[in-house]
Amino acid sequence: MTGTEPVLEARGLSVSYPGAPVLRGLNLAVRRREIVGLMGDAASGKSTAALALMGLARAPGTIDAGEVLFDGRNLLALPEAELRAIRGRDLAIVVQNPRAALNPMTRVGRQIAAVWRAHREGTGGEAAARAVEMLRRVGINDPERRASAFAHELSGGMAQRALIAMALAAEPRLLIADEPTSGLDVTIQAQVLDDLARSVAEAGTAALIVTQDLGVVANYCDRVAVLHDGVIVEDRPVADFFRAPEHPYSREVLRLQRAATGARLAPADTVTEETLVEVRGLSKAFPIRGSDKVVQAVDGADLIVRRGETLGLVGESGSGKTTVGRTLLRLEAPTAGEVRFRGEDVTAARGGALRALRRSMQIVFQDPYDSVNPRWTVERIVAEPLALHTRLSAAARRARAAELLEMVGLSPDLLGRRPRGLGSGALQRIAIARALAAEPEFLVLDEPTSVLAPTAVNGLIELLRRLQAELGLAYLFISHDLTTVKFLCHRVAVMYLGEIVELGSVRQVFERPAHPYAQSLLAAHLEPDPVQRGRPRTPLEGEIPSPVDLPTGCRLASRCPHAEPACAAARQALTPMPDGRLVRCRRVAEGEISAEEVAA
Amino acid sequence: MSLGGAEAAVAARSTPSRTRRRPDPLFALGVAIVAVAVLLALIGPEIAPYDPTQATLFYNEPPPPLAEWPGLLRATLAGELPQPPHWFGTDASGFDVFSRVIAAPRIDLAIALAANVLSLGVGVLLGLVAGYYTNWATALLMRASDVMQSFPVFISAMILVALAGRATGNIVLALCLLYTPIYIRLTRAEVLTQRKRGFVEAARAMGSTELRCALVHVLPNSLAPALIQSSVTIGFAILLTAGLSFVGAGVRPPTPEWGLMISTGANQIILGEWWPSVFPGIAISLTVFGFAVLGNALERRYDGN
Repeated sequence: MTGTEPVLEARGLSVSYPGAPVLRGLNLAVRRREIVGLMGDAASGKSTAALALMGLARAPGTIDAGEVLFDGRNLLALPEAELRAIRGRDLAIVVQNPRAALNPMTRVGRQIAAVWRAHREGTGGEAAARAVEMLRRVGINDPERRASAFAHELSGGMAQRALIAMALAAEPRLLIADEPTSGLDVTIQAQVLDDLARSVAEAGTAALIVTQDLGVVANYCDRVAVLHDGVIVEDRPVADFFRAPEHPYSREVLRLQRAATGARLAPADTVTEETLVEVRGLSKAFPIRGSDKVVQAVDGADLIVRRGETLGLVGESGSGKTTVGRTLLRLEAPTAGEVRFRGEDVTAARGGALRALRRSMQIVFQDPYDSVNPRWTVERIVAEPLALHTRLSAAARRARAAELLEMVGLSPDLLGRRPRGLGSGALQRIAIARALAAEPEFLVLDEPTSVLAPTAVNGLIELLRRLQAELGLAYLFISHDLTTVKFLCHRVAVMYLGEIVELGSVRQVFERPAHPYAQSLLAAHLEPDPVQRGRPRTPLEGEIPSPVDLPTGCRLASRCPHAEPACAAARQALTPMPDGRLVRCRRVAEGEISAEEVAA
Repeated sequence: MSLGGAEAAVAARSTPSRTRRRPDPLFALGVAIVAVAVLLALIGPEIAPYDPTQATLFYNEPPPPLAEWPGLLRATLAGELPQPPHWFGTDASGFDVFSRVIAAPRIDLAIALAANVLSLGVGVLLGLVAGYYTNWATALLMRASDVMQSFPVFISAMILVALAGRATGNIVLALCLLYTPIYIRLTRAEVLTQRKRGFVEAARAMGSTELRCALVHVLPNSLAPALIQSSVTIGFAILLTAGLSFVGAGVRPPTPEWGLMISTGANQIILGEWWPSVFPGIAISLTVFGFAVLGNALERRYDGN
């Protein structure tokens, strides 16, 4: 690609908010037929940069200095009217939250047509035809019907694709996509990004993808620019970047990925044979208000967690994995089934007995900002279990809180602080310290890394491994981020629509998944490694069915590439395989589908 | 400890906290007005130049012209006058209007505050229960407060006082019945969101009892809307107390009370004797304005967090 003239080039671009510079002299170029990834931590100014490249700044921010060259003209010096003509026609942006970006009152097809008509000559009929064609091009099936849909009638993945279609409608020469898939599930994410990459390649244009996801960068970008402290600290071809990152920040970001792709899976020396948690036939259905129907969130889950072991629970949103974790701790009462902890029945425990059990089993939630009382000091937050379960004096509690903070790698100086102003990584460590205060044996970790910045994720995963080694804890690690699961877990259960479809060791499931759903989930997972790029995928057709009207037979039958009529007839059983794993698929059990090699 | 200082520093890195707030002139004005009102409620009757319930010998005497005020003030402070001037004039019964205006907050503010504290307490507690337990009993409670709120405020208060008698306690009770539903509603709405917060779940998972979750975690985090509303409500309670007196359903004469003063003075306005009504009117306006401004400022501060 070198030698090609850049489509868009930013030189010394500076943007500031009152009292706080965000970009301090950004230099970045995107060339024709090139997809560039713009990476950086949360609040590093990535989104600000994406907007500034179009000559926009979100109030009260202002663009203070620099130039953005497009066709040899400085966008920042152009009159507003000319700039508007360029925006949308030559430069298009896809923002993060697709549903909020679509007009809820106008049909999707009309919105796309409106963009086209604003910038190109043509009749209304041509514009409408163009809208349908664009929807087809971004991989929406039945585009004629979808064009007349309203935003709320589309799923998240479809709304995101409609937004990309709208951005591409006027054939822009550069598409800027700000975290285009951050809210989507992995299988949908892969479909959307495939469609985006193909559209860019077919039209011979260029794209800038703003993302925190190494998998997206490794699999779709030609070049990566790392934004840190308001400047681009590294700007290199993707393969070079993953092989030998130069800047300390890049190395920090890549640390976990480099460890995970090596042989360093979670060490098995903490795992014992002793069963700590045993779940049998666990089901949870939520009634739908004003209807006799139910949402079957979990349907007959069986699993065990041994002392010192990490069991990963993966699946897409709506698969019921969070409900499993919450039901284990009786934060939800199960509809059926039982949970035993150290042999004691958790589902039957009441009042004081349940509270005593809860001392030994703890949970860490997804959103650290939400899981600490904003009015309390860190000391009081961390010491809350001590106040509940022990008769320690205030001084002893304070000492123990300080000890706990040190244990999770935080300074005891934080004891007097309040949550406000602390970063998400620190708050999540505080939540872990609190969970550890009463010396539990079992922790449910419910997507603890999903809102953290990449560097904070690495630190947290290492912390969890260290704590397991030091304290012999057992974890149920719920996550949709397969990279962290691979690094932290010993065994993995894959859930789909409330059922566990495959349960085996990390090596079994990640390297040779057997169930067709596990296969496509693993294949859709964007391995943060450009070497494995372009490996074959068996994408699932369509989207997840609603958990309200579940199919009677195999729940994957409508999307499964291997489905036969018999699959839809009867519910599948979780069957043990010769290698010890459990798979819920009759064709796998009968040896008709073989485990698929996923990664080298 | 295997962790280096660097990692701890990364983990503890905090987003810069908000810099010092800009001074808010409206907030300061609200505080000043409310402070004066409270001060008068405490010592108003004691510092009044005349006994507010004792008639003087002068009837319907107009206030001195503004131009004479500085001279009069100087003379009063120097003790040169045989008796203090009637700053706001005297009314038809010979009461010193100024003395009554500054003595009235003791009645008006006491009624408004008592009604407000009572309804705040009851409303917040019922709101907590209604937000925490959604069953037929709390649904009934909410419908009952709907019914209460669907009556015109003033008419309801009038009827309540007319039925129960014109005692101060009954006025407080009437205001309470009117304001409690507001607090129930505000608190319930907040409790509904707060009780689903992660830290409440976490406390429950830690083995905290439901009662403790409700009182220690949910309640303190659900108070803000009701507290902000209360400063507005106090203002309106003062207005309503005065209104009730005006229509003869409030405190009995000759109690110094703004609404009563406006009412008794109203007959004379047509004769050009404006002062017995206008001064207490200004006092009510200022006080209600002060509380309203204070409430707005508090709300802005709360939202800014």
